[in-house]
Amino acid sequence: MEEWRQIFYHAMNMFNVVIVSYFFLANGTYTLLMLMSLGSVWLHNRQLSYQGLDELRESAVTPPVTIIVPAWNEQTVIVDSVRSILRTDYPSLEVIVIDDGSTDGTLNGLITAFRLIKMDLIYRPRLVTTPIRGFYLNPRIPNLLIISKENGGKPDALNVGINVCRTPYFCTLDADCLLERDALLRLMRPILRSPINTVASGGIVRILNGCEVQDGKVVKVQLPKTRIERFQVVEYLRSFLFGRTGWDLLGGTLIVSGAFAVFHRETVLETGGFQHETVTEDMDLIVQIHRWAVHHKRKIKMKFTSDPVCWTECPSTMSMLARQRRRWQLGLCQTLWKSSEMLFNSKFGVIGILSFPFHLYVEGLGAVVEFLGYFMVPLALLFGMVPVTLFILFVVLSVVYGAFLSVGAVLLEELTYRRYPSLRDLITLLWYAVLENIGYRQLVLLFRVQGVFRFLTGFRKWERVVHVGAATS
Amino acid sequence: MPFLIEHITEVVVTILFLVLLGTGALMVATIARRQRRDKYFQRIDDLRQRYSPVITSLLAQKLEYERGLAVLKGISGRDRIFVLEQLCLEKRPTLDQVPILRRLCEDLGLVKVWQQRLSGRLDASTIREALGRPGGLLERVGRLHFLVRAKAADNLGIIQHRPSWPLLVKALDDPHPDVQAVAVRSLATIQEPDSFAPLVARLHAVVLKPSSTLSVRAVKTALVSFPLKQTVGLIPSLNYSNRRIRFLATDIIREIVERHAAWEEEFVLDVKVFPPELSDVFLNQLCFDENPDVRARAAPVISHLEDPRATPVLLTLLEDTQWFVRLHAVRALAKRKYLSQALQVAQRLTDLHWMVREAAARTLLVFGRAGSDHLASHFLRTEDRYSREQIADEMQRAGLIPSLLAQYGSGEDGAEGRVIEQFAQMGKTSYLISVLQSSSERDLRKKFLQGFGRHPDPQIRAWVRHLATREPDEELRALAEATIHGAVSKGES
Repeated sequence: MEEWRQIFYHAMNMFNVVIVSYFFLANGTYTLLMLMSLGSVWLHNRQLSYQGLDELRESAVTPPVTIIVPAWNEQTVIVDSVRSILRTDYPSLEVIVIDDGSTDGTLNGLITAFRLIKMDLIYRPRLVTTPIRGFYLNPRIPNLLIISKENGGKPDALNVGINVCRTPYFCTLDADCLLERDALLRLMRPILRSPINTVASGGIVRILNGCEVQDGKVVKVQLPKTRIERFQVVEYLRSFLFGRTGWDLLGGTLIVSGAFAVFHRETVLETGGFQHETVTEDMDLIVQIHRWAVHHKRKIKMKFTSDPVCWTECPSTMSMLARQRRRWQLGLCQTLWKSSEMLFNSKFGVIGILSFPFHLYVEGLGAVVEFLGYFMVPLALLFGMVPVTLFILFVVLSVVYGAFLSVGAVLLEELTYRRYPSLRDLITLLWYAVLENIGYRQLVLLFRVQGVFRFLTGFRKWERVVHVGAATS
Repeated sequence: MPFLIEHITEVVVTILFLVLLGTGALMVATIARRQRRDKYFQRIDDLRQRYSPVITSLLAQKLEYERGLAVLKGISGRDRIFVLEQLCLEKRPTLDQVPILRRLCEDLGLVKVWQQRLSGRLDASTIREALGRPGGLLERVGRLHFLVRAKAADNLGIIQHRPSWPLLVKALDDPHPDVQAVAVRSLATIQEPDSFAPLVARLHAVVLKPSSTLSVRAVKTALVSFPLKQTVGLIPSLNYSNRRIRFLATDIIREIVERHAAWEEEFVLDVKVFPPELSDVFLNQLCFDENPDVRARAAPVISHLEDPRATPVLLTLLEDTQWFVRLHAVRALAKRKYLSQALQVAQRLTDLHWMVREAAARTLLVFGRAGSDHLASHFLRTEDRYSREQIADEMQRAGLIPSLLAQYGSGEDGAEGRVIEQFAQMGKTSYLISVLQSSSERDLRKKFLQGFGRHPDPQIRAWVRHLATREPDEELRALAEATIHGAVSKGES
């Protein structure tokens, strides 16, 4: 009996060491990323004053880009989205919408709105996809092509777009997203300016909920009304403004949001296009490109920029949020598992040594450690293994540290883009940055753990998040 | 282990205290920053409200220049330069506004300040101004000074300040890539003929030194914006031993030529704009270059040359071993003046590469009716399935189906019926049927029904069935019914 007691105590102690190490590793890295991002985003914001977008807009050398919009049952938003996309400020733009076997009025809505005619065109697939049902064009809108296909999922729809697209670069855009007019031009800028072959460029995704929209354009930026949406505003700021910026600065970009990103077509084709094995095809593609580049000894670059903005609707209910976060976590685990050869592999540089281990141990498995911590540490307290004072101090520190990082993200926003013009909104954001760590963070953690559990049980289904149109018009 | 626990407690308390302090500081900094900026931009907005109309009137020449200048000179404060910069360069000037804006910037002393900043020199007014606005001082400290130099280079480019070009050329060697890139862009805007050679030299350097911080595209973009007469300066690059330099030089000339061609409908490269030594390089050398990219990019330039050697050279390129050279050659021939070469272009409709076939079909469509006839005739004659598919594709994309049906319906006994027949044989009837469905032309529908009503194509059959049940016109409905019965009895027999 005594022996078992010793083993239990030993295990508890070990776990406590793990949780404390995790705490310091995660928060230490986040703090480092935040500090780097503060400098980087501030500098980038200053550099924008001489960015020369006009030159890109007017130059004959600016390469054409195709925006690929996969759509499945998006009848409520698709027509407005396509209208908004067609107004994008870019010198040579083509738009391909892939109707992925919708069962609602997505295709009919598009046919009616743009007076499309069904044509029997040639399909030359370089990437294997489900069969095409038809091509829809209006000869008077030559830069718009709608393709109807049998349902095959988002990666499959994107692959159809890549097969049909003729331009050297393509931009993936979710059907429910709104692009700022010059967002594509801004997204292409790092590609055009870099002396190194930049094969992917990602922009910032901001939350549309609560904002005022007119003719597919955000005209007034304000905070959403519900708490759950406000928490997500803080989360997105943290994730995009200092998470991705920090990793970009280190050259360790592992995630580019597929909701709005530009890719080099030929590179994506060479890597086999978007894969079906994971539920986060965007991250999977980025990891795949990194692997391909190392195996083929290609010098490539991926870039995240914080000024091209795409607005998207975030989940406004708990059940939708749960679906989204479970999927993200599941996809993260699937992708990292699939590419485990990159872990601590110096061939992959910063990605292999820093970024991949961070995403695996902190973002992936860290969720389980943190979650277990909420049970094991009180258990240790119960068995008298941790003094009450220390336990309370740790709980407070964990909450305060979370608040510190979130407030840092709000400051970053204030130092740079200041999208929320009202002081009241800013103070509310700061308040929610603190509040987020009491309740909301734990809830999201639960969803993430469910995601990890699904990964372990081999669950592969894509959980769809239904949008309700949370912006006001 | 009481000692260790106490130790950890102390550490945690210290960290907690520091983090709490940090969080509080960040919150205060955020709100303070917002208030400071609000106050600052309130002032800028006030100034903008007061002075923007003056600048607008000056640029529109609705206000006497001296009076406007005197008003603007009245702006004072530590951040005077920044404010003036904001007001003058708030909107991008149109071409006719540039001379006035340039003069204004010179008279307000802005040009001198920008030149000083670009050359890295600091004066008292610059430092004073830096103290007057958020982040201003930071930009002037050490390594961040490149922000000031780059902005100065940008401003000089916006007002197209020609005398500053030597300074901008010097800035091509700036230690920071941002300044180099902006200097390249500004030189392109100013278009000083003497700056073309240093830019070409920079292009060579960027290509030959892989460690260069400037992108090839940036330099190429700049060179492309120069006028046609400058292209002579690229002759040494066209003869250069490095194949990439030859390619880039050819492509730059192509871009310049295409830009001019887009402005003028009947554009030709005659000796006045394109000297014979340059034409000779294209006609005798580049079209036979060992680098296929060079041959491909030379084709569009050659197609604009007013030289009897041009057409034979293009026809040679049409037969090139590399598909993309053939592609560029076919595209280059897409001009009405090459109508006589339609037959040679039509031969490319059976090219092994689909992009060449597609380009050939498009080129023939550019030739107008004669080209369309070539296309239709090839469509009907060819045994090559891929060629037929490609033509069908292009005819649909170009929106030719309605006119094809209209001609068919008008009763002329042309090739239209056979083309439609071919479409039906290939199962490409979606467009045909959608035109028929939306057509109010009774005669057309009747003729189509009589001609193709019994065709086994599922879409045609569905259309006939639809007519038989829903068509309000009795005669058409009866005809459709008869067609169905006829088809059924034929099937039974």
